[in-house]
Amino acid sequence: MNDTVLDAIRARRVVRAMTDVPVERDQIRTVLDSARYAPHAGNRRLHRYVVVTRASLLRAVRMVSPGMLQRPMAAIVVCVDWAKVHSYGFPPASPGPYIDVGAAAATMLLAAHSIGLGAGPVTSFSRTALATVLNLPAGMRPELIICLGHAATEQPPAMRRQGAPRWDDLIQWERGKVEG
Amino acid sequence: MCGQVGEERAGGIPMTCETESDSVRVLDEGDAVELLVYLVTAARTQLDEAAEYAPMRLLTAAGRLAEMAEPNASASLRPLLRDIRQGFSETAVPAGDPARYVERLDALCRAVAECLVRSLDLDRSP
Repeated sequence: MNDTVLDAIRARRVVRAMTDVPVERDQIRTVLDSARYAPHAGNRRLHRYVVVTRASLLRAVRMVSPGMLQRPMAAIVVCVDWAKVHSYGFPPASPGPYIDVGAAAATMLLAAHSIGLGAGPVTSFSRTALATVLNLPAGMRPELIICLGHAATEQPPAMRRQGAPRWDDLIQWERGKVEG
Repeated sequence: MCGQVGEERAGGIPMTCETESDSVRVLDEGDAVELLVYLVTAARTQLDEAAEYAPMRLLTAAGRLAEMAEPNASASLRPLLRDIRQGFSETAVPAGDPARYVERLDALCRAVAECLVRSLDLDRSP
């Protein structure tokens, strides 16, 4: 049995502190390319990926992103092309495009890990401010940022909560129990 | 020495601050803009985020301000700025240990208030 993929899944962590060692363009391309292989509903390609490597632009992106604790050396902004979404007849509240953002993000995080990069997702940012900073066309909305860099030795602790459920408590096998 | 709120240094010790007349500029325009943008966008993101993130975002802003100010701050203020930076990790949320979180936040509030008492010379008789 080949455990490489499972090992990578289990070893990957969200990286919230990064060094100032640059990320190579080829590495960014590798991470970007992995998103091609993520599942996309109906293979519709409703998403766009904006790459940011310029230091001043990265700084601006971080400023409008309160959830960005790390100082990344590169960032990939996953956007949804809402004009295209609507052209397919998706209702406005459809979760589909967001699910695809998550699938692409998970794939890119793993790809980054597999080539020795640290990566962390950020969703806490002003969509309006980021779209302005990146000069995105109308209808293109940024939904998630993948921060890329090299992991610093010291990382902030993982978020902890008292009374968190055990993993097994989150799983239901088969049909739920009928009450009463 | 400033009031101390770090995990291993809990317990308020009286601190000293510069008095108002000694105050120095500690922030350049670029840093001020960075903080301003953070605060405005955090107000917006908070509408979509879990409420438990609110104190975390404010403490992150306070930590960044402390980090920006520290190089130019007076020697007597620096320990307080360090306490603010180090008092909470960037990922600490109240649910981690609610009682301890409140206790540490109160210690930090006490420390900044003691700084005010000194900087405004509030102990002086009228």
